[in-house]
Amino acid sequence: MNKNIFTSSKTGDKCVYVKHPSGLDIYICEMDGFSTVEALFGTKYGSINTMFKMRDDKEYTVVPEGIAHFLEHKLFENEDCDVFELYAKTGASGNAYTSFDRTCYLFSCSKNYQESLKILLDFVQKPYFTKASVDKEQGIIGQEIQMTNDNPEWRVFFNMLRCMYHNHPVKIDIAGTIESIAQIDADLLYKCYNTFYNLNNMVLSIAGNVKIDEVLAICDEYLKPCEDKGLETVFPDEPETIVKSEIYEKQPVGTPIFHIGYKCTPCNERERLEKNVAMCIASSLITDASSDMYQRLLKDGTLNSTFGGEIFCGDGYFSVIFAGESSDPVKVRDSIANEIKKISENGIPEKDFQRIKKSMYGAMIRQLNNVEAVASMMLGAHMAGTSPYDMIDMISEMTSDKVLEYIRTELSEDKLVMSVVEETEND
Amino acid sequence: MKYNRTELDKNIGFTSITDEKFKTSHISVRFITKLSAETASANVIATDTLTYSTSSLPALSLLNEKLSSLYGASLSSFSIKKGDIQILGISASCIVNRYAIDGEDIEGEMLDILRESIFSPNAKDGKFDDESFRITKKELLDRIDSEINNKRGYALSRAGEIAFRGEPAQSTSYGTKESADAVTAESAYSAYLNLLKTAPVEITYVAPSENPAVIEMFRKSFSETERIPEKVKFHTASPLKPEVVTESDEFDVRQCKMVMTFKHNCDNIYAVKMLNTIWGETPVSKLFTNVREKMSLCYYCATRVNKYKKTIFVDIGVERNNIEKAKAEILHQLDEIRNGNITDEEMESAKLSLDNALTAVGDTPSSYSGWYFDCLCDNEIITPEECFLKYKSVTKEDIINTAKSLTLDSIYIMYDKEDANNE
Repeated sequence: MNKNIFTSSKTGDKCVYVKHPSGLDIYICEMDGFSTVEALFGTKYGSINTMFKMRDDKEYTVVPEGIAHFLEHKLFENEDCDVFELYAKTGASGNAYTSFDRTCYLFSCSKNYQESLKILLDFVQKPYFTKASVDKEQGIIGQEIQMTNDNPEWRVFFNMLRCMYHNHPVKIDIAGTIESIAQIDADLLYKCYNTFYNLNNMVLSIAGNVKIDEVLAICDEYLKPCEDKGLETVFPDEPETIVKSEIYEKQPVGTPIFHIGYKCTPCNERERLEKNVAMCIASSLITDASSDMYQRLLKDGTLNSTFGGEIFCGDGYFSVIFAGESSDPVKVRDSIANEIKKISENGIPEKDFQRIKKSMYGAMIRQLNNVEAVASMMLGAHMAGTSPYDMIDMISEMTSDKVLEYIRTELSEDKLVMSVVEETEND
Repeated sequence: MKYNRTELDKNIGFTSITDEKFKTSHISVRFITKLSAETASANVIATDTLTYSTSSLPALSLLNEKLSSLYGASLSSFSIKKGDIQILGISASCIVNRYAIDGEDIEGEMLDILRESIFSPNAKDGKFDDESFRITKKELLDRIDSEINNKRGYALSRAGEIAFRGEPAQSTSYGTKESADAVTAESAYSAYLNLLKTAPVEITYVAPSENPAVIEMFRKSFSETERIPEKVKFHTASPLKPEVVTESDEFDVRQCKMVMTFKHNCDNIYAVKMLNTIWGETPVSKLFTNVREKMSLCYYCATRVNKYKKTIFVDIGVERNNIEKAKAEILHQLDEIRNGNITDEEMESAKLSLDNALTAVGDTPSSYSGWYFDCLCDNEIITPEECFLKYKSVTKEDIINTAKSLTLDSIYIMYDKEDANNE
């Protein structure tokens, strides 16, 4: 096995990448002086992957909403025991999460990492689903869905996505609905498992108090070679236009909360990284506490310090989102649109641009100070088709002209949507 | 790692932790005072205002420009409660100088900003700068309004209010809307001067190497500050109510929340935490295994300890028609422990889980800072390794006795409105 070393030219940090004979991509970062270990075993399978086929399949399979998340829950049950019971014997804290484009199984520990890694690699490769266990999970996930339905931050975000996207499954709730998960059975889970949990579609990322050779020896022992069956996932055609420009929902909240987003053109790998960094800077020009707009709206009471920006992107979707609390979200939206227009016309002050770049660089250094963040960074970069330290280099190479070009071409008022959750009127 | 604690003056502690693996420098300054519904909001607004602007950077825009040019350095305030005590803090954090691209003295400039924010705030004529105060006060009022956004957090907060009624801990760490509304630029500044004068202070510095300038700055600045520190007591057991009190609210929600509050008289905190771990803290705990996995009643059902008030909270998100079933099972699982139904595996896994958490102390600057501050609150400075030895010595008998001393004190339920209307 060839060990490729990635080194950050800016900080000197390094990690090792190995393409394992089993098909798995492996990233390992030895972090001197740290006690903990964070391991993530992830598959490129999330809530958006509702339509797929293998090379030899004639037809695409369409599965119910929320099945990737359901599968994540069920993989924690082995034939003979619950995975948490196994981790309880090593002291590791095990968990998992499903997002739009990935499912990750993870543990963090400060002792016995090799035993915990064996558990992780073993159980993820050993699915066991029965009718009884699937039925039992409906109740638990049903309560999880209800809990997120009561979360106004969650609702305001998904409502915004539903305003933006006509067909792309990014608009569906990660856990699905009570109705959609009722359609899930053991056969469907196996079908999804056998499609997406192929090691050629997966990655292991481990950081902290580990030794590269120890990790690789365990991988050699536990990974079962997989044939690459040519997985194809497809997404429905998504128009460039938005569905509608605004949506309101009532929930028990304090000050109304808003998500205001620009729908942008999706892109992949290196281009996505570049656009991501450029848009981070663009959004900071608006949300930065020193910006004129933020200062004005803070002083007149329209905004508070919850105001912030986020870049949300993946396969087939890219958006720039502004979120926060305001008694007048319409004013916030109009102010953002005006500010974008002003920047488009007048350009970006070089002083602000350099300051924001420095701040982003500092944030990256902080990330490298943290075991969990390093493991997530390696996995995230791989899944996005880039290398672990590319982000730091991209920040340093970014120019204000490039940011301006993206602002002018991507942040268009006809692709601006607003979602608001405001207080329920009490009887 | 090198740990060193110095008393700069009576009731001003300076803890320095150097660990070369870190790329950042962190300083936390904690003012410790008695929690009071009357003063909590003024204290919070005061310390928040300190991080909004300073005398030489007299507007948020200027302070923020400076911080972001220092590679995104941060200056923030926080407010927490531990038992009947309110802790108001200012934190400063930055990457260390060796990562500066243009050779800036990031740490030196950050220390200057922190010094100004604490010892030279943006105030004159006996009050904070009007604009800084006004915006900071609105921030707190918005935060209080938004408590309901997090339903689980809101339910836990209401449960604490009911369980500790009549005690200082009844208040949140930031007071009520009414008390916040009543704060003025004058009263906030006066509250801050009072904190500077009377609150015991704990400073924690975590960085890759020592920097004598930090301790010197605090030594000099505090020597110029009039100090008459008051005594504080972190541990004050909450008295058990004569009868179980149940209170509820109705909201337009899809899932009900229930919080059961138990009180105990056990002095062995290690046994209490072991009980907590086995009963409901981990994914192999009795509540997770039975209430969630076997009975499918919920997504979460967990216990948490408030060691300062000798209290354990159990919280669950559950459908209305399963509330009684969940309550019965939570009590049944406590009875199981009282009856000695604790396996060797449960004991071992609880200890391993606690050991795992303890060994992780030191992997982040905040975990170091939090660990040694908590030790001070407990009047027992020990290392995580020494702490684990105390857990190791806990026996099943200790846990059974602790479980027997737990008594249900109060229950809070957040009901869903729609179902209520259907009944």
